[in-house]
Amino acid sequence: MTYANALVQGLLLGGLFALFACGLSLMFGVMEVINLAHGDIAVAAAYLAVVLVPLTHIPAVWIFVLVVPAFMVGGYFGQRLLIQRSLDEGPVTTLLVTFGLSVVLENVLLEVFTGNDQSLNIGSLVSGSFSVRGVILPYLSIMILGAALVALAAVQFFLSRTKTGRMVRAVADDREAAQLVGADYRHLFGIAAALASGTVALAGLALSMYTTVNPNTGPSYLLYGFAAVVIGGLGSLWGTLLGGMVLGVAMTMGSLVDPDFGAMLPYLVFLAVLAFRPRGLFPKKAIA
Amino acid sequence: MLEAGAPLGQSGDGEGRGSLDGASSHVLSRRQLLMGAGSGAAVLGAGKLFGGGLDRLVAERARHIRQSATRTIVVGFVGPQTGALADFATSNNFAISAVRATSGFSKGFRTGGQHYDLQIISVDTQSNPNRASEVAKDLVLNRGADILIASSTPETDNPVAQFCEVEGVPCVSTVVPWESWYAGLGGNPLKPTQKFDYNVAFFFGLPQFGDTFIPMWKRISTNKVVAEMFPNDADGNAFRAGFPPQIKAAGYTPVDGGAYPDGTANYTSMISKFKSHDCEVYVNCPLPPDFNTFWKQAAQQGFKPKIATVAKVLLFPADVKALGPLVNNIATDAWWSPFAPYKSSLTGQTAAGLALEYQQKTGQQWTQAIGSTYAAFEVAFDALAKASDPRDRAEVAANLQKMKIESINGVLDFTKGPAPGVALIPAAGVQWKRGRKGKFTDFPWAMFVVDNSDAPAWPINGDLEPTNP
Repeated sequence: MTYANALVQGLLLGGLFALFACGLSLMFGVMEVINLAHGDIAVAAAYLAVVLVPLTHIPAVWIFVLVVPAFMVGGYFGQRLLIQRSLDEGPVTTLLVTFGLSVVLENVLLEVFTGNDQSLNIGSLVSGSFSVRGVILPYLSIMILGAALVALAAVQFFLSRTKTGRMVRAVADDREAAQLVGADYRHLFGIAAALASGTVALAGLALSMYTTVNPNTGPSYLLYGFAAVVIGGLGSLWGTLLGGMVLGVAMTMGSLVDPDFGAMLPYLVFLAVLAFRPRGLFPKKAIA
Repeated sequence: MLEAGAPLGQSGDGEGRGSLDGASSHVLSRRQLLMGAGSGAAVLGAGKLFGGGLDRLVAERARHIRQSATRTIVVGFVGPQTGALADFATSNNFAISAVRATSGFSKGFRTGGQHYDLQIISVDTQSNPNRASEVAKDLVLNRGADILIASSTPETDNPVAQFCEVEGVPCVSTVVPWESWYAGLGGNPLKPTQKFDYNVAFFFGLPQFGDTFIPMWKRISTNKVVAEMFPNDADGNAFRAGFPPQIKAAGYTPVDGGAYPDGTANYTSMISKFKSHDCEVYVNCPLPPDFNTFWKQAAQQGFKPKIATVAKVLLFPADVKALGPLVNNIATDAWWSPFAPYKSSLTGQTAAGLALEYQQKTGQQWTQAIGSTYAAFEVAFDALAKASDPRDRAEVAANLQKMKIESINGVLDFTKGPAPGVALIPAAGVQWKRGRKGKFTDFPWAMFVVDNSDAPAWPINGDLEPTNP
């Protein structure tokens, strides 16, 4: 029973990691940008929610209605005004720019909100759960996994079923050819960044319900996100969910042996995937 | 050169800036000196016409500045105003402004036929031990600090104490388990015979956590099986080594949840272990975010110990707010509260009076760091005022070592400690409960004194209730 329970908790935890990984995968899949500020953007979203909840009296569970659109707009302009300029300078510049963005975000948050840990309080929902044959299913974890599934499905639908989405994929596949038929790749990159930013904002909200955040929380979840992307396969959306779940299960099952092993096993899996299936478990040539 | 002289850190609020402006007339006299030197250099650049005359001018100006500065004693305060430990420092600016308002600090004191003014400079470590060391150095070497105070965890206190011991600057540390502080200076807490001339500290020792927690466990009927959540870090390993013998001696059986790394995201395996051993008592010393994660997951997965006693977390209202209703009836230790029957040696103000002033001025719930910070200044003041020459660092340090003072944080006796230069203060058992009417309890969640086994002078104002019935 202990094993079954640990397995299920790991799978549920995978939802949180997938939310982090989804945007990373998208940014890399569409414009080959590795966004080192990804985790910090999530934390910034959590802080925005912490400010907005008491101001608007919207329950914490529903605050994403404001935060996610705000971050999508922010993501679009962040791409157009900041990342796009560095993209024109080459991949190393982009890496440095996102790294700089990460440092700036962390310090601005520290300056404005101090180092106090913040958490989105969702009342009794946080402690509630039900159990099926001894396996515990916490409402919060189910909610987060549900959010991950909806977010992934929505991004997937957008990319495969809408005209703009298809153009994003076209630009990702072959930018010159897409430009020849009139695609404005800068605008389309902005749209991809908006989606990435929206999903990671959702991840930040989930994280601040699941645990607490402080200005320095971002980078550790960026790592989990990266690992999930690599395990699942770069650029593969549903692969990130699988990658997240592999990570989560490795973490909870490894902890059964020893808590330190639980911290190490996910990275052993990550290394094994890199060594034996460097393109991940579900490699895709292009996104989605 | 100007860069080296520029202040490294300063507290964020108006009070802190006030101190810097206040410092300008004395410490910044150094800046005037530099400016003098700068203009001198400019003149020199124009030609070496003035030659040695200018040097003499600069030297005279420096002597003049030094003479006027000798009448001001600078007390440097080092705390984690920002960063991960910022919870500890939320009330520091208030405590410092309260100290500044006392007649001792605002008017200065007279000793050895000379009047001395007092100045407080508060600096921020950003919760970074390396920076703590840097700002201590800056305070002493560039800003003329005559005595330093460090408060809040070994990460803040140890680098400052180490610097002071090497440089021969008197230093008062607090809110640090004395063993960590003593070991940080190079002493052996198990055989505490070594004396450190320039350092003193007042706070709990590790056995006091047991002395506070175990009496509370005994009052709740349980199966005496204790879940231990100790991380794989300095504090966690110290607890893992020291706590089980104390628990076993009291007739309890410890169950170690394993040395988990800080920042673990999921505690399912630990929770399963505690549940399978049917643990009804819970004790820990985690990082605050980790406890938050653990406690939420424990509630989800049905680990509901009858009594939870936590160390290192839930010391302050901000921490409690982040956990919400799950905090109900979790017990911890307290080193100060408005309920304690303590009085300021500077003004006679009571602990309750000081906490009330804090709440009225800041609109925030009182925190236990108000008392320890304030008391550290009382200790510094006493050592300075009783010296025939407060600029004589050795004399001031000797005064610290032989001090016994009734402060706002209780009686601090540095002569009797478990180690040289240590004054132990009692720890009270407290529980977080829903607030109720009352000056210090009318908040969503408030701290109530429920057990005074280690601190008999503290009146009890709440019932010890099971964390989970």
